[in-house]
Amino acid sequence: MKPSVSLAATVPPLGATTPPARRGRQWHLAPFLYLAPMIVLLAAFTYWPLLHTIYLSFVQWNMNPDQPMRWVGTANYRGIFNSPLFDAAFRNTLIYIIASIPLKVLLPIPIAIFVWTLGTRGQVYRALLFLPTLFSFTVVAVVFLWMLNPIGGHFVQIARLLGGQWPNVLTDPDLAIWTILLISTWKVIGFNTLLYVAGLASINRDYVEAMRLDGASDWRLVRHLLWPLLTPTTLFVLISTVIFAIQQVFTPIDIMTEGGPQNGTTNLFYMVYQYAFRTFNVGFGAAGTVIIFAFLLAITLLKMRTLDRHVQYQQ
Amino acid sequence: MEKVRTLLAGLALTLVAATAQAATEIVFYHYQTGAPGKTLRTILDDFQKSNPDVVVKDIYKHSEQITGEVQAALAARRPVDVTSVIGKNIVFFAGATPAVALNDPKNGDAKWLDAYLPNFLDAGRIDGKVYAIPHSYGTPQLYYNKDIFRKAGLDADKAPRTWDDVIAAATQIKQKTGMAGVAHLHASMGDYGTMVMVTNAGATYLNKAGTKAEFDSPQGVAVLQMWQDMAKSGIMPVANDQQWGAAFQAGQMGMYITSSAALRGFVASAQGKFDLGVAQYPLWKEQPRRVNNSGAAIMLHAPEGPRREASLKLLRYLSRQDVSNHWSRDTGYMPLIRNPQADPAMAKYIAEFPLVRPSIAQMAETLPTATWPAEGTLEAQVHIKNMLDELWAAKRPASAIVPETVRKVNEALSVNLKK
Repeated sequence: MKPSVSLAATVPPLGATTPPARRGRQWHLAPFLYLAPMIVLLAAFTYWPLLHTIYLSFVQWNMNPDQPMRWVGTANYRGIFNSPLFDAAFRNTLIYIIASIPLKVLLPIPIAIFVWTLGTRGQVYRALLFLPTLFSFTVVAVVFLWMLNPIGGHFVQIARLLGGQWPNVLTDPDLAIWTILLISTWKVIGFNTLLYVAGLASINRDYVEAMRLDGASDWRLVRHLLWPLLTPTTLFVLISTVIFAIQQVFTPIDIMTEGGPQNGTTNLFYMVYQYAFRTFNVGFGAAGTVIIFAFLLAITLLKMRTLDRHVQYQQ
Repeated sequence: MEKVRTLLAGLALTLVAATAQAATEIVFYHYQTGAPGKTLRTILDDFQKSNPDVVVKDIYKHSEQITGEVQAALAARRPVDVTSVIGKNIVFFAGATPAVALNDPKNGDAKWLDAYLPNFLDAGRIDGKVYAIPHSYGTPQLYYNKDIFRKAGLDADKAPRTWDDVIAAATQIKQKTGMAGVAHLHASMGDYGTMVMVTNAGATYLNKAGTKAEFDSPQGVAVLQMWQDMAKSGIMPVANDQQWGAAFQAGQMGMYITSSAALRGFVASAQGKFDLGVAQYPLWKEQPRRVNNSGAAIMLHAPEGPRREASLKLLRYLSRQDVSNHWSRDTGYMPLIRNPQADPAMAKYIAEFPLVRPSIAQMAETLPTATWPAEGTLEAQVHIKNMLDELWAAKRPASAIVPETVRKVNEALSVNLKK
């Protein structure tokens, strides 16, 4: 079938030049017009607040429009770094991030493979796994607070029935952070599993059949086929988990421990909230936000630089 | 005739529209929800009925967020006329926002403020100017489970009067029933709980300016040592306010010292489950009782002109004995007006609901809650919270932990002295 006459007529011959004015409109203005709605939204709700936050991190101000902002240079940053909270918040942030990798990034992979191998029968498991994602984190935190209550809570009663004793996990500085981590893992593991299941669903089943015909074991199948082809999903899950790891634990920290015991569960995100909204120190809150932004940006760039080359995008 | 009717209807509509336009709208930020929220709205509706020229728009915000929300509204220049402010933030708000002094002669006769107990007004008094009136005030009191008392062989009709009585009863409960004996609220960052405990023992928690902690006095150390001993001996399981509250309401703990604001909830929980008793806050070594109020006061932010006039009308209305007592009866908050029993409705209520008596008896023994400056507050409160964690872990005595904490708190607050 011949190409349509109208298309042939509109496409210029190879090597032909377009008048400059028309070319400018076509190649420079049009893409920006298409992008404009998103650029405007990003500029208004992401980049402007970011720039304003950076500015606020260098001033002292109490949000009263009638009182002037006082330029204090790097004093807010020095104040944050010297704060009794910062060391604990930074150390705990690293724990939350590093522990999230095996718990929230790697653990969902075998679960997803298990659910994937079940085919349509796996839908019940998928639904059960995804269910905690739908619960409000506030409700989850309150329910866990009840269950972990050292006075007659469910865990205490079960341990007593079994002849044991349940430790007071929320008042032990060594155990509290792991309790928060496990609760947040329970909450998000279903979502990450679902992402991996979606990644697995995009793998061509012919590859699996071919390896099976060649007598590949389950382990070889996972090691040499599924794992490489899941790397784009893994990179996405890794980056999003690291970025959200410290946000995800905000609600249980606020409701269950207020950052304690002995600053054992606080993190940079919660510290910023406390400065900005509990004690109205806008400068410290903004400086803390900029520190978190720089920290997460550095981690993300590092991950993309080191891990991206290992990602298998081609199937 | 038809034309006349149309004309009259048109005139009536114009009149209604003109009246609506003439009404001044004022914005009231508060954190009352559920039943107290409904009561507040009822009171505001009653106010509007008697003041048709004023419309009160109430905006609910969570108690943890209300201060930040009001600040954000002020920063965005949205209308903010009347606000509920958590007691400990009054000084900060008075300095950092365009708060209005209620007894400023510009705002007319301030005699209406005399309706409140002077000690209640003290929380909002700065350099002689009154920036806040009491509203949703609570006072700490002792709740006890009479059934557990009976099981432990204690006299259920005789509530513990002193801290020594409380410790003895809690020990007996623990020994005879194996149940938790007692807990004392800590509240957010351990601030209010520590304040109440040391103040009642005769120590000074923070100086008036809020720039120096002084609870490392012998009385302060002694009472905090008692708090440590409660945890160490096991009569007080180490937990947080939510967990203690849940355990008490489930009938699993003998005594719980917390705000009078919890009374309604505890009465509802105890219904059909256990016999609830309420008593005044325990005395420390027979010294006079001194307890700080919790909860929120009301501040005025309305700019000069019709909005301020309308807001002042509302505040005067809220200070009326019948209105204030209505608020107290329906919500469980402390009565705020002098001699509340003089109101027949209140006298009837007290007779029918005697559990409210301890909080009324404590009205005269209430001290203003300690207020914090803005800078160094978080660091200071973190040190106080860590102090409680360490006290309850009981690895060092209070005599070692408390002075060290006070030094750190004062170091954090010293930034305010340099100004």
